Amino acid sequence: MGGTVFAQGSAPEAPPAPGSQAGSSVDLSVKQRPTLTPADMVNQSKEYFTGMGAVVKRIQTLQDQAKREKDIIRLNCVTDKLVQARVNVNIAEQSMATMQESISRNDEGEQTHEFTRLTIVNQKVTVLGAEAENCIGEDLSFVGATRVDVEVDPNIPQYDPTQPGSPFIDITRPPSASPID
Amino acid sequence: MNRRFALLIGLGALLAGRTASAQEVTIGYQGLPSKSSGESNTGIQVADGVLLHAGVGVEAGYDTNVFYAPSNTVGSSIFRFMPYAEITNATRTGPVSKELTFDARAGLQYRHYGNSEVSNAGFADSWNPNAGLSLNLGGAQFGLGVADVFARIEDAPYANPTNSNTNGVPSGAPSIQRDNNQASIEGRWSPGGGRLTGVLRFTNMVNIYDNNGMGTYSYANAMTNTLMLDVAWKWLPKTAIFLNVSQSYVDYFNQTAAANNSIANSYPLYVTAGLRGLLTEKTSAVLTVGYVNAFYSTGASTTGFLGSTYLDLAFTARLTQLSRAVVGFRHDFLNAVITNFAYEETAYASYVQQIAGRLGLDLSGRYAYLSYQGDAGDPTQEGRVDNLFQIGATLDYFLRNWAYLGVGYSFLDNRSNKPNDEYLKQQVFARLGVTY
Repeated sequence: MGGTVFAQGSAPEAPPAPGSQAGSSVDLSVKQRPTLTPADMVNQSKEYFTGMGAVVKRIQTLQDQAKREKDIIRLNCVTDKLVQARVNVNIAEQSMATMQESISRNDEGEQTHEFTRLTIVNQKVTVLGAEAENCIGEDLSFVGATRVDVEVDPNIPQYDPTQPGSPFIDITRPPSASPID
Repeated sequence: MNRRFALLIGLGALLAGRTASAQEVTIGYQGLPSKSSGESNTGIQVADGVLLHAGVGVEAGYDTNVFYAPSNTVGSSIFRFMPYAEITNATRTGPVSKELTFDARAGLQYRHYGNSEVSNAGFADSWNPNAGLSLNLGGAQFGLGVADVFARIEDAPYANPTNSNTNGVPSGAPSIQRDNNQASIEGRWSPGGGRLTGVLRFTNMVNIYDNNGMGTYSYANAMTNTLMLDVAWKWLPKTAIFLNVSQSYVDYFNQTAAANNSIANSYPLYVTAGLRGLLTEKTSAVLTVGYVNAFYSTGASTTGFLGSTYLDLAFTARLTQLSRAVVGFRHDFLNAVITNFAYEETAYASYVQQIAGRLGLDLSGRYAYLSYQGDAGDPTQEGRVDNLFQIGATLDYFLRNWAYLGVGYSFLDNRSNKPNDEYLKQQVFARLGVTY
């Protein structure tokens, strides 16, 4: 996960593990508790999964496209995004399971925490989808089809001077004569 | 071999388009232009990829010696009118590489002398048609080409002190009328990358002199069949060494008349080798040397080292993109009509300059040494040696790319060891026309 975050650069940080120091410094539960019931969280999380699934499917399409075009640079980029997206989907699935358990235990703090993780992971997958769309691969260095420009000295004749000459018709005036018929 | 100095009457372009060679240059007075010296972009699109070119030109001037006489010359005003039409699938900028190319052309030259003495003698008018067709099939490796060219000339007869009246007009000699048809078929083979090319060509030429009687040449009517094989190896894209073998058969139609005039059938053989193509970006050459034997069936034939040697040296330099200079020398023999043959030494030069795509200047000259060999029908012609000097100059200005006007000058001077065969003839012309 740490590696994934490092690779994304500007992507939002993943939520800290439950009970960590960083997690305890943010009081999200107070703000979200009035707006989302446990059922709303579950429904919203399902929408997140639908969206993330669509993003993963789109990145797979981009991967197939890069394979067909034999664009190795773009393929590497898209595959990297796909791997990261799948990892984040796995994290989201774990959070979903934990959230549902916390709902059954009626643990509001845990519910809010896992929902928050789901929200952030969803945002991250969305960002990965956008980054995959922006993988341009060889377009970056593609300069067009190979074209050969030949500059021929205009003094060089266009015809082939190595060919034998054409037969020329002889219609010259004959020399003066006094023939004997 | 090729008679490159023939009066082409516009047919040169037809054949040159088939297999253009840098060294085929017309020496002497140039016929009316069929195209602007610059980018013309002319031609009427009559179908998809088919262009029709047409034009008409007139020349008016003066001829100092209508009958090629050594003295007592007859001069006359001269008028020539020349329409032509051509249909081709070449583009407006020239031939293009296609699997099928064709070019058909027909023209007519009408000539009129204004001098009443010339008119009264029946030599005032002449009609000289010409036509040609070429067809090429095939691609880079295999190709087939057929061509046919016909031309007719009618010209005033020679006059000399023994056959002309006091005014210098020949009496009793009809005009010289010569019809010539040349058909050829060739196959081209260039395997692999095209370094090796082979051309096998068969040429049939029929030469007919129409009139009979004194001063005519009907006894020399003949058919010539030639089979030629040319193999070239390009060691550079535009430069090749070649081997050329050519065997001809010259057959006079009336053997009795030919024998009476001391000319005989022959089987000329040429085996030559040399270099063709570019020497530098601006210079090209044809350097040919080889063995020749005329193999006349009776009478004199080519003999000795010089008589068995063929030499052709021609250099072309494109001095600028708008100018071209050609110099050349050739040693050959010439099948003749007054004896079996003549040894021929020819030196020539040509300079062409375009100015601003509007003005076209053509200067050319030739010196030919002709030494007639063997018996002659007229014994007084035996041992005849001619020194022929020829100069041509034309300057044409294209008002539009389809309309021109110009001036021209022609100079012919034959100096011979037979005084009656000498002449000096000069012609000046003003000319104008349209060609599209």
